Amino acid sequence: MLNLVVCLKQVPMVTELPWDEKTGTLRRDLAAGMMNPACKHALEAALQIKEHHPANITVITMGPPAAEEVLREALALGADQAVLVCDRLLAGSDTFATSLILKEAIKKKCPKFDLILCGAYTADSETAQVGPQLAEELDLPAAAYVEKLEISGKTLRVRRLVDNFRETLEMEFPALVTISMENYKPRYTGLAGLESAFDKNDVVILDAKALGLTAASIEKKGSRTKVRKVFLRKTQKGNVLLQGAASAVVTEFLDKYQRKIGTVIGKSIEEKKSDEKK
Amino acid sequence: MQSIFFQERTLQLNPCAKHKLIRDSVRTFAETELAPVASAIDRAATFPREIIEKMRPLNYFGLQVPREFGGAALDSVSAAIVVEEISRVCAAIGLCVTVHNGVAVYPFLRFANAEQKKHYLPKLAEGELIGAFSLTEANAGSDSASVETTAVKRNDAYVLNGTKIFVTNGGVCDLALIFALTGSEQGKPQSSVFIVESKYPGFLRGELEDLCGMRANPVSSLFLEDCCVPENNVLGRIGDGMKIGLATLDNGRIGVAAQALGIAQGAFEAAVKYAKERQQFKKPIASLQTIQNYIADMATEIAAARLLLYRACSLKDEGMPFGCEASMAKLYCSTVASRVTSLAVQIHGGYGYSKEYDVERYFRDAKVTEIYEGTSEIQRMVIARSILSQLIL
Repeated sequence: MLNLVVCLKQVPMVTELPWDEKTGTLRRDLAAGMMNPACKHALEAALQIKEHHPANITVITMGPPAAEEVLREALALGADQAVLVCDRLLAGSDTFATSLILKEAIKKKCPKFDLILCGAYTADSETAQVGPQLAEELDLPAAAYVEKLEISGKTLRVRRLVDNFRETLEMEFPALVTISMENYKPRYTGLAGLESAFDKNDVVILDAKALGLTAASIEKKGSRTKVRKVFLRKTQKGNVLLQGAASAVVTEFLDKYQRKIGTVIGKSIEEKKSDEKK
Repeated sequence: MQSIFFQERTLQLNPCAKHKLIRDSVRTFAETELAPVASAIDRAATFPREIIEKMRPLNYFGLQVPREFGGAALDSVSAAIVVEEISRVCAAIGLCVTVHNGVAVYPFLRFANAEQKKHYLPKLAEGELIGAFSLTEANAGSDSASVETTAVKRNDAYVLNGTKIFVTNGGVCDLALIFALTGSEQGKPQSSVFIVESKYPGFLRGELEDLCGMRANPVSSLFLEDCCVPENNVLGRIGDGMKIGLATLDNGRIGVAAQALGIAQGAFEAAVKYAKERQQFKKPIASLQTIQNYIADMATEIAAARLLLYRACSLKDEGMPFGCEASMAKLYCSTVASRVTSLAVQIHGGYGYSKEYDVERYFRDAKVTEIYEGTSEIQRMVIARSILSQLIL
């Protein structure tokens, strides 16, 4: 029996949220929550593993009480247990603190895991850090941005796309992967599953105390980063009119823009010039 | 058992987490699968079989069927939300789902015997059989006693003859509940309901109707020509036609209300989006007070319609009489749908009158919700009759 853990995050349903000017935090209250898309792909990967191997899926999320919703959705899709880490003390955790807290939750509720799956990144902050940091905390072999998983015995083979080339890696369980959105298109949630996901009050809720965390320890080991300022980068689009004789316009154009268009046509203009000379 | 006075009961007006999740899930499905084709299937009047196949494993055809028969066992608010969300994107498929669940499957849940349930419910819940409900005839609509189709007992079967018209799902149904005359009692015609499979000899379909809206739903006539139906296929008892018809229509009205509400919601969202985008006098038309008034009225009416609908649903779930409330919900939701879709076209201006924008389709789809499953006039009759029959108001 494979023990799979899927870490999920609830994110706001819209991609561009306004933020609080004073604190620099997103105004998450302005939009309803949903399961982060990459996390949904990670859950799908786990569900597909479960279709081919005997497996048990535990889903974990950290968030406010309403984050239980993504756990119920995961139960509807076929997860077996759900754990919500929820405590005011933990609010505002950065990725470092989040990975420490998730480590404690996993050690407490699913210590004998074989594989932890996370979404490669989140739609709201896109740091892509929690998965790799969690692997570091648990001292696990890990691969990020995975698009395909194969399991044989205790070995996990993963394929991923890195800088335009594909690499295949192998690792032994226990391990951690973060799943990209290339593959593992999430299935639709069936209505019967949704109805039965609310049958039982079976989501385990852990607070800081249950994880052995105190205000002091959170202070000491907690968030290392602080958001100082959030600002919107202003971009401007404008038209540039080049005027004059054709040859002068072309020369001016190349002088100004050849670096930019070189990549678009796949060959730098310098190269093209030297080709022509030959 | 606990006294009902000690059960915790508060008036729940806000959607619970389950209802939100059901809404989100159906919306995702509808926007991914139905939205890209909704306009094309309307124009070509084609039934999207391949999408129906995708809906089957997700329990869209067994919304309130108990799990033992393979259904989703949803509460009525959830089932209404499902119909609402499908109709928000594609009302014709919302219609297919609500007719199948609301008036074809529901009578099985209420009136079928154990054997019929065991035989038919799993296939209906799985969508292997698509159901239709067949009361309307050329000379009988709301007046169900005027049905002219006949059923005559011959050996261990009933022989059905007659013509049914405007049968929703008629072109694709695998099973229809047919209302037919089986005699008379004290001078009054007595009707009964028969479970008729489309594969029975003598079951024939007419041409598909060329309708103003809901064009992707194959509405057709059904002809019964010496159609032999096994005597075990009588739903309920002989003579139960009126009873089954009335109970089923009460439930069907909740479905049509949900559908109308979904259409209104879809048109409303399209109108708000357009009002923010469309620039006139160098500013979005949403900044004009007249447009804002329209938007405020639409939003308020939709919210009121939704509350009426969910009230009828929760009465049904609590086992209370819900006929009058279902009629109120159906009357109001369909009126709101017509008004909101008309305003949505108005906000779109000339573009709204063009097939380039979805509001034109919503506008056509909305109208029939004021007509089928009992016209608005009939709903008022039902509501008034219920009010006037009460001894104390």
